[in-house]
Amino acid sequence: MVQSQSQSQSQGPGSGLFEGYPPLAGTYDEMFGDGGVARAPFARVAALLAKVAPDELARSQALAETALLHQGVTFSVYGDARGTEKIFPFCLLPRLIAADDFRRLERGLQQRLRALGMFLDDIYGDQKILAAGVVPAEMILGAAGYRPMLRGVKPPGGVRIHISGVDLIRDADGTWRVLEDNLRTPSGVSYVVENRMLSKRMFPRVFDTARVHRVDHYPTRLAETLRSVAPTDASSGDCNAVVLTPGTYNSAYFEHSFLARTMGLELVQAPDLFVDGDKVYCRTTRGPRRVDVIYRRTDEAFLDPEVFRPDSMLGVPGLMRAYAAGNVALANAPGNGVADDKAVYPFVPDMIEFYLSETPILEQVPTYVCLFDDDRKYVLEHLDQMVVKAVDEAGGYGMLMGPQSTAEERDEFRRRIEAEPRRYIAQHRIELSSCPTWISERGAVEPRRVDLRPYILTSREGPWVLPGGLTRVALKRGSYVVNSSQGGGSKDTWVMKDA
Amino acid sequence: MISRVADHCFWFGRYIERAEATARMLAASVSLALDAELPAAQVWRPVIVVSGEESRFRNRIAGDDDDHPAWGDAELVQRFMVWDEDSVVSLTRSIQGMRWNARSIREVVSHEAWEAVNELHLWMRDDASHLTYAQHREGFYQHVRRATQLTLGLLRSTMLHDEPLDFMWLGVLLERINQTARMLDVHHYAFTQASGRHEVVETALWLSLLRALSGSEAYLKRAAGRISSEGVARFLMSEPAFPRSIAYCVHSAYSRLCDIRPPDSHDLPGGASLERLRVLDAWVGARRTEPVSATGVHELLTHVVDEVHDICETIGRELLGATPAPAS
Repeated sequence: MVQSQSQSQSQGPGSGLFEGYPPLAGTYDEMFGDGGVARAPFARVAALLAKVAPDELARSQALAETALLHQGVTFSVYGDARGTEKIFPFCLLPRLIAADDFRRLERGLQQRLRALGMFLDDIYGDQKILAAGVVPAEMILGAAGYRPMLRGVKPPGGVRIHISGVDLIRDADGTWRVLEDNLRTPSGVSYVVENRMLSKRMFPRVFDTARVHRVDHYPTRLAETLRSVAPTDASSGDCNAVVLTPGTYNSAYFEHSFLARTMGLELVQAPDLFVDGDKVYCRTTRGPRRVDVIYRRTDEAFLDPEVFRPDSMLGVPGLMRAYAAGNVALANAPGNGVADDKAVYPFVPDMIEFYLSETPILEQVPTYVCLFDDDRKYVLEHLDQMVVKAVDEAGGYGMLMGPQSTAEERDEFRRRIEAEPRRYIAQHRIELSSCPTWISERGAVEPRRVDLRPYILTSREGPWVLPGGLTRVALKRGSYVVNSSQGGGSKDTWVMKDA
Repeated sequence: MISRVADHCFWFGRYIERAEATARMLAASVSLALDAELPAAQVWRPVIVVSGEESRFRNRIAGDDDDHPAWGDAELVQRFMVWDEDSVVSLTRSIQGMRWNARSIREVVSHEAWEAVNELHLWMRDDASHLTYAQHREGFYQHVRRATQLTLGLLRSTMLHDEPLDFMWLGVLLERINQTARMLDVHHYAFTQASGRHEVVETALWLSLLRALSGSEAYLKRAAGRISSEGVARFLMSEPAFPRSIAYCVHSAYSRLCDIRPPDSHDLPGGASLERLRVLDAWVGARRTEPVSATGVHELLTHVVDEVHDICETIGRELLGATPAPAS
C-alpha cells in the first residue's frame, strides 16, 4: 500500500523515459492522451515505466534478444542456404489494453466467431444464406478458398474454426475495428507466451503492480479444445492428438514445436502418418498407433495428395477420406478459406444479423469490393487514397499503399484490378494507433503504429478469447505495415484486470 | 514413439558423444605432444586414423606419402578435426549434427538441454570460439567438452526416463563403444609395435590414452598405480564399473534396448537388434578372463566395431523407420 503510493507520486507521466515523447498528429496513441498525459487506466504503469532509465532499457532489450536467440525462439529466413535463423524483432515496452475495452472485444470476437462458424456450416451444407440473397452466391462459390468437394462433410465435434487470430486495429478516434479474419492456420501465439516471459523477467516490479491477465495457459486450453472434438469412438482418456508441421525449414517451425511441447503432444510430419481403412495411424517404434485429432499447421493444399494436389508428394494420402468418414478431426477444418477471404469480409456483419439476429458488436473497415461495378469505379478514381489488397494474399504482400505509391505502381494495380476484379478489395488508409516504442538506433522512445491479433479457441462449448494477444508494431518510422516480413516486430500485450 | 523422432533421438546422442570424444582426444594429444619426447607424427597421425578419416586426409592433404609433413603438423591436423566442414568427424560437423537433430525434436528435448545445445552451436558460429581457439587452445576443447557433458547431464536430470531418453542413451553408448574401441586399437598397436622405448615414454603414452578416455584416475584406482599395456587394454575392454569400457557400454546398451523393446514382447519390432546385442554382450563378457595379446586385442576390437556397425543398421531398420512399419 505504502509502496504503491510513493511510486505513483514520485514521477509524472510524460517525463523520464517518455520525456519529449512526440505523439503522431491525427493518430490515437495507446498510452498517452491529450497533452501527453497517460490515459487514466494506465497512469500507474506509465509512471513506473517512466522511471526506467534509457540505458537500463537498452541493456534489458539486448539481454532479452540474447535470451531469445539462445532459446532458439527464431524463424527461418526463406531462401537462405545456410539456414539462417532470426529472432522476431520485439520491443520490451508493453502495449496496454484497459479491462473495459477488452471485455467488449471479447464479446465482439465471440459473436463474430459464432457467426463465422455457422456461415461455414451453412456454405458446406444447405447454403441458406445464398438462397436468401444476403451474400452474393458468385462471391462465395467463386472464392479460391471454397472447396466444393467438402459439401456435406460434417467435421467431428461440429467445430470448424478451432483456432483463429482476428486482426484488429484502432483508428484515429480510438475505435477498434476488425481488419481481417484468419481462420486457416494463424500463427504468432508462441510469441505471445514468450514475450510475456521476457516482460516478467525484465520488468518484474512494473508487471507485479500492473495486475495483468495471464496468457501462459493458452497451450492447456488449446489441448482441451483439441480433445473436445475427438471423433466419438475415441474416449477422451486415450485420445491421441498430434501437431502436424511441414518441418524444420518452415518459417514457423519454432511455434509448431513450442505448441507440441507445451501441450505435451507429439509433433509429426506427413511421412509419419498413414491411412488404412479410412483411419489415420502414426508410425511408431511399437508399430502403428491410431491418431484421433490433428492440429495441422500445414496448408490444406498439402494435406492429402489424393484430393488437393495430385502432383504433390507432400501430405498424407487418404487423409481426407478418413476425415470425411468422421474418423479424424482436423483443426482447423479444411475449406475455411472461403470465410476469411478479404472480399467476403465486408459481409460478416450481415452474417451476424442473418444467423444470430444480433447487432454486430465490432466495427469493420469500410471496404470496396472491386467485383462490384460501383465500388470498382470509385476505387479506380481514388487509387492514390486507397489501400488495395489481393483477397488471397497475406503477410503484407500483393498490396498497394495508395498515399505512398508511385504513378507506375498505381497504373500496375489499375491493370490488375481491371483484369481480375474478384481478386481485389480496397479500403481507405486507417491511421493505425501508435504505441511508445523503444528504438535502439536512436536510443529513444518514439511512437510506432500497431495492430492486435487476439487468439480465439472454439471447442464444442463455444469460443474462448485469450486475454492478451500479439501486438505487432511497424518498427520503421512512418510505416503502416506491421508484418514481420516487412520490418514489423512485436510487443507483449498487457490486458489489465479490473482496477 | 514416432520412429522418425526416435531416429533423431538416437543420432542426437551419437553426435553429442562424438563431439565430446573428439574434443577430449584432441586435448589429450596437445598435452601428449608437450609431455612425451615423441616425433610429432606419432602424436597426430593416430588422431586422424582413430577418427576413420585417414583416406580423406590422404586425398585432400597427405597423398600416398607416409612421411608427408602433414602427419605431424599439429595445427593442420587440429584444423582438419575442428573446423573442416567437409570432414564428417570434425567438431563443427558433429555440433551441427547435434543441433540439427535436437531442433528437429525440439518438443522432445527438455528446455534446459536444448538451450545448452543451442548455446554451443551459436558459440561455434561466433567469433568468440575462433578467438578462444587461437589464444587458448586447451580452453577451447574444455568449452566443447563441458558443453557436451552439461548436455548429457541435463538430459538425464531434466527429461522423463522413458523411451526418448533411452534412444538418446542408446546412441551415446553405441558411439562410445566405437570411440573406445578405435582409440584402444590404434594406440595399442602403435605402442606395442615400437619396442625398446624408454619406460617413461611408455608410461606417458598409456596415461595419455587413458586421459583421452577420461579414464586415468579410474584406472590408477583399479591398478593401484601400476601402468602396463596389458592392464590398460584389459581395463578399457572389460572393466565392468568404468562407464567408457567396452564391456560396460555394450551391457548398458543392451539394458537400454531391453527397456525400449522388452525381450518377452514378441509382437513388437526390434527383436533382431535385441538378440544381436545380447549375443555381443555375452561374447564380450566371456572374453574378460582371457589373456591379453597384441593380436587378440586387435581381433576383439575389430569384431566389436563390426558388430556395432551392423547392430546400428538393424536398429535403424527395425525401430527408426528406415523402412516404414506396415499397416496393422
